[in-house]
Amino acid sequence: MDLFTNLALGLATAVEPINLLYCLIGVVIGTAIGVLPGIGPIPTVALLLPFTFGLEATSAFIMLAGIFYGAQYGGSTTAILVNVPGETSAVITCLDGHKMAQNGRAGPALAIAAISSFYAGTIATVVICLLSVPLSVLALKFTAVEYFSLLVLGLLAAVILAHGSVMKALAMVLLGLLLGLIGIDVSSGAARMTFGVAELGDGIDFVPVAMGMFGLGEIMANLERPPVRQVVSQKVRDLIPSLADLRAAFPAMTRGTLIGSILGVLPGGGAALPPFTAYAVEKKVSKNKAMFGHGAIEGVAAPEAANNAGAQTSFIPLLTLGIPANALMALMIGALMMHGIQPGPQIMTEQPQLVWGVIASMWVGNLMLLVINLPLVGIWVSMLKIPYRLLFPAIALLCCIGTYGIANSVFNIWLMLGCAVIGYFFIKVGAEPAPLLLGLVLGPQLEENFRRAMMLSDGDFTVFVQRPISATLLGVAALLILVLLSPTVFRKRKEALAE
Amino acid sequence: MEGRRIDLQDLLFGLFLMVVAAFTTAATWSLRVGTAANMGPGYMPRAIAVLVLAFGLFFVVRGLVAPFKGITPLQPRAVLFILLAVAAFALLVTTAGLMIASLVTIVIAGFASRETRPLETVLFGGAMAVGAVLLFVQALKLPVPVWPW
Repeated sequence: MDLFTNLALGLATAVEPINLLYCLIGVVIGTAIGVLPGIGPIPTVALLLPFTFGLEATSAFIMLAGIFYGAQYGGSTTAILVNVPGETSAVITCLDGHKMAQNGRAGPALAIAAISSFYAGTIATVVICLLSVPLSVLALKFTAVEYFSLLVLGLLAAVILAHGSVMKALAMVLLGLLLGLIGIDVSSGAARMTFGVAELGDGIDFVPVAMGMFGLGEIMANLERPPVRQVVSQKVRDLIPSLADLRAAFPAMTRGTLIGSILGVLPGGGAALPPFTAYAVEKKVSKNKAMFGHGAIEGVAAPEAANNAGAQTSFIPLLTLGIPANALMALMIGALMMHGIQPGPQIMTEQPQLVWGVIASMWVGNLMLLVINLPLVGIWVSMLKIPYRLLFPAIALLCCIGTYGIANSVFNIWLMLGCAVIGYFFIKVGAEPAPLLLGLVLGPQLEENFRRAMMLSDGDFTVFVQRPISATLLGVAALLILVLLSPTVFRKRKEALAE
Repeated sequence: MEGRRIDLQDLLFGLFLMVVAAFTTAATWSLRVGTAANMGPGYMPRAIAVLVLAFGLFFVVRGLVAPFKGITPLQPRAVLFILLAVAAFALLVTTAGLMIASLVTIVIAGFASRETRPLETVLFGGAMAVGAVLLFVQALKLPVPVWPW
């Protein structure tokens, strides 16, 4: 079986001392930013990107991945102890996790959260292994036509499953595609929308855009809200959960993992949607419904398992097809490109060490997280005492330095400034910036494949429905649009997100 | 308030999209569009601009007929000082060096919040500046001057 040789290669790569070190750095940073509300994995990854140039691509990617799933662990600590989600994915953990803490069961709540995450991380790693091979085999059959359809499907699906207004998200994707067009046109050499600015010739860097909209835009929006952060100091005792707790939590963990794994693979999935779904399901199937919202251990285990599983399986479309499932994966694609690796179906055959190394490192990283999180929970809690009035200037500064660092370009800082203004406007009018980032990153690929497909078919648009794989992909995309336009499903989606 | 119309969020977003579409079309006017089989550099910008325009119209119309929905009031203080802080960094980093740029950025950004305590922010800014130099210049080898001289 090919799978085991691949896994062995991956494990061998992941346990190389240098990769272990970067994995550790990644999960520690991830936990830290996860604990702190107000700074998420997107600006952090964007910030660290320029400094991974000197590293080998595998080490860099292992570290960046560690930040992402590490943040899911950290987010739950804040949710349980302070009732403020450190990350959006931990919103649901506040409900029962914080109630448990109020009932004096903070220790078991934290432990169950960590154990669920670890359990889900382990299973998700296996899921990634099992799904990667068939998907990449399928992907090798892709031509420009199929690739274009896949990109369309990916963009549409990401939009539909994202938060907020679907129509606005679609418009944001288009804006992102437009931004992606800026620069010298590859086939004709003509400058497009560069306005004579030499720095725009290579196109717009996505890091200043991401930092401006996610980093700075968030700060400005956060400062407008009345301060809600109150640090609850609570002694955390009895970290080891009782056998009864474990027995109650285990089925919930398993269901959560399953839900998270499935939703994570879907484009637009990732860490935000699965916990909501898992919680809703758990509430339906649980025998003691009354306990939910009052400190039910299943209410912690299921969403925590789901967000971790989702965070990890959202790497599948990226690693096998080169399609990012969410804004963070879009950043990861950018990271790959910066290391000279063209994302796409061929990545698994050309870079087996990278792909399998990253997959194996996720399991290693999860093990590290379990160790880092449980005994050291006191350190993370003390980080919460840093007031936001000091935190936000520091984030602003880090955004500046990081943006400058990508190309040592002051122009990028001005670009980030402009994006911050636009990002603030988007927040004001209720438009999520994440789809724009997806459009920006995928735009050039979309145009390139569209152009090639059209050349191949001599300008015949029906080519996209004549080929079976492409037709299926577009069929799914069309189905998604139908679902989107059907009002009943639309309402259900709103309910699911509101719950 | 019964009878009041106009969803400001939709209306503003729609207008923004229409401006972007018009601007894109103007900026790529001179580029060759070509045919589907042989696309020129202007093909995709034109196609997307048309779609953006359509979305813009949709939001403007929906915004005009929807029930009233305002936008949360602007907080000029937060926006102004964050932007000023970033601008200061852009102006200072290559001329005055990372040390001074970092300190100035933190201090200006601090003004964005009412909770900020001046002395604390200056001290914190100094610490961050030293930390940034150690981390980014010493450890990560970011090629940027540390001091103005």
